[in-house]
Amino acid sequence: MDKLQLQGITKHYGRTLAVDDVSFACTRGEFFSILGASGAGKSTLLKSVAGIVQPDRGRVLIDGHDVTKRPIQDRNVAMAFENYSLYPQMKVYENIAFPLRAPTRPRRLSPTEERAKVTHVATILGIEPYLDRLPGQLSGGQRQRVSLARAMVREPNVFLLDEPLAHLDAKLKFQTRTRLKQLAVEIGATTLYVTHDFREALSLSDRILILRQGRIEQIGTPKEIYHAPATDFVAALVGDPPMNLIDGRVARAGDRLRFEVEDAPVPIVIDLPENAAIDRIGGEGTVRLGCRPGDLRIAPDDRGAIRLPIYAIEHSAEASLLSFSLGHDRIIQAQVPGRIDARAGEPVPIGFAADRLFLFRKSFELGEV
Amino acid sequence: MARNLLFWVGIVLLVGACLFPILWMLNLSLKPNELAQAVPPAFFFEPTFEHYPTAWRSANLGPLLLNSVIVAVGSTILVLLVSVPAAYSFARYETSRGHLLFMILSTRMMPAAAIVVPYYLIFRQFGLLNTHMGVILAHAFFNFSFCTFVLYGFFKEIDPNIEYSAMIDGYSRPQIFRKIIFPLLKPPIAVVTSFSLMFSWNEFLFAFVLTRTDASRTVTAGIEQFWTMTGIQWGPMSAAALIAIAPMLVFSIYLQKYIVRGLTFGAVKR
Repeated sequence: MDKLQLQGITKHYGRTLAVDDVSFACTRGEFFSILGASGAGKSTLLKSVAGIVQPDRGRVLIDGHDVTKRPIQDRNVAMAFENYSLYPQMKVYENIAFPLRAPTRPRRLSPTEERAKVTHVATILGIEPYLDRLPGQLSGGQRQRVSLARAMVREPNVFLLDEPLAHLDAKLKFQTRTRLKQLAVEIGATTLYVTHDFREALSLSDRILILRQGRIEQIGTPKEIYHAPATDFVAALVGDPPMNLIDGRVARAGDRLRFEVEDAPVPIVIDLPENAAIDRIGGEGTVRLGCRPGDLRIAPDDRGAIRLPIYAIEHSAEASLLSFSLGHDRIIQAQVPGRIDARAGEPVPIGFAADRLFLFRKSFELGEV
Repeated sequence: MARNLLFWVGIVLLVGACLFPILWMLNLSLKPNELAQAVPPAFFFEPTFEHYPTAWRSANLGPLLLNSVIVAVGSTILVLLVSVPAAYSFARYETSRGHLLFMILSTRMMPAAAIVVPYYLIFRQFGLLNTHMGVILAHAFFNFSFCTFVLYGFFKEIDPNIEYSAMIDGYSRPQIFRKIIFPLLKPPIAVVTSFSLMFSWNEFLFAFVLTRTDASRTVTAGIEQFWTMTGIQWGPMSAAALIAIAPMLVFSIYLQKYIVRGLTFGAVKR
């Protein structure tokens, strides 16, 4: 049976529609992420599960029981808030132990048991040295881990984590991410994880839900989300550098399908594979072509290569990122391993790998996301 | 160095200006009667302590002080009982979308003297004249608005997610109020408690008009009796006034650290 189910959750704030008819289910022990830009309705979904937000329509089921109308304290969920929400007058130890002492717990722990639990979770999250401090004496990153520890110290039905790594610096983020996953697996917890960072979602999740302005855009495994994005929105959201999206037309030339870009500085014609699923996106006509920067090749000997002048070039430790202008503020980027010795303005032949192309129906204006 | 000097000169002048009336009162209370009105004022004289026992006996200060304690403590308890939940409700549920909060504040928008006569008439009707309850109610009425407003500001400072967090941790609203909110509120409650006590202790007009006898008259209103047909008894009046302010002085020194903490609460982003 599904551990957690959301059925047709809809929520307005005043006249603003925050969440629009969202349904999904998580199995027991699943790590399920909700990915979206700020204001997409991610936290609203999380708070509906917690009971902080009462949805206008729809139901929340835990273990098959409808909990939509149940008070917050009777749902047995644990939540880490983005802004920590620690109890400022209590020491870190008391903060973490607070849920263990709640009157709604079925059994009261002995002080030894309690200390063992608190120390265990604090050690995993690296905050064990600070147990005797007050939250006010900690840095943002430490407070965030205390908040995470307070959520993970008990065995709830569902963990609700709202951007729990947002305020950590890069290195700590990576470390905490690993430990969070370790902790989640250890407890066998069903976790609902809200983030705007696709890397966190891809690395932690069993499945990811992509939310766009309160609606589900796609639900899938990290692999599906990355390698088979359902829409141009998902394609633009997931990946760094972001996927190239080019608007153009699909036309049949003899027995081949071709993609053409209008008013580009040089003719851009890309051969599409035979089996390109153009029916899915409304047949021939205007479409949006997607191609990850890493899948573009600098290919001097490729017959179909398009020669474009370099617009800008950036070097990182292991790769070079080349940008090309297609006119009308349209940019495409190619990421190639190693250091490319080339100069801006220099024409370079680019090859599109036919089997690594995506075709989408256009759902937003480029430059808006 | 020069700036520092200027700072200290400024401080001394300011403190001097604030303390002067009190020091003058002390001076008057120790002066023999014949020197009280002397021009130029006599600064050097043989001090006498006779005014203190005179004042205590003739003005019946003991019972008056007790009345003051009853009224101040009574009205403060009443204020806290109403203002804490009221402020909480305004801050958390936006009760009446601010209209009621504004109305409560508007009770402070008229001078007390303007409403003292209607008060007198109403209180007489209800038999509240010359009773502790009458003065308690009048003082509480004036303090409700101020204390509610101050507490409202503090409640607004507390992140509602802290309460949600505690609910998720398995606690009910009353338990959260006791374990989380109330401890956070100690400084602001110290502030409104002391303001309310001081206001009530010092209030003159209503305490004076609503009481005619020593049965419920507060010490502040009681000092009026040194203003006699035959003249003002400066010495005993000053002595009585000093006795009257002493308890509040001790009290505010004791509460000082809470008050300062309360006044700066939330001033710095934590």
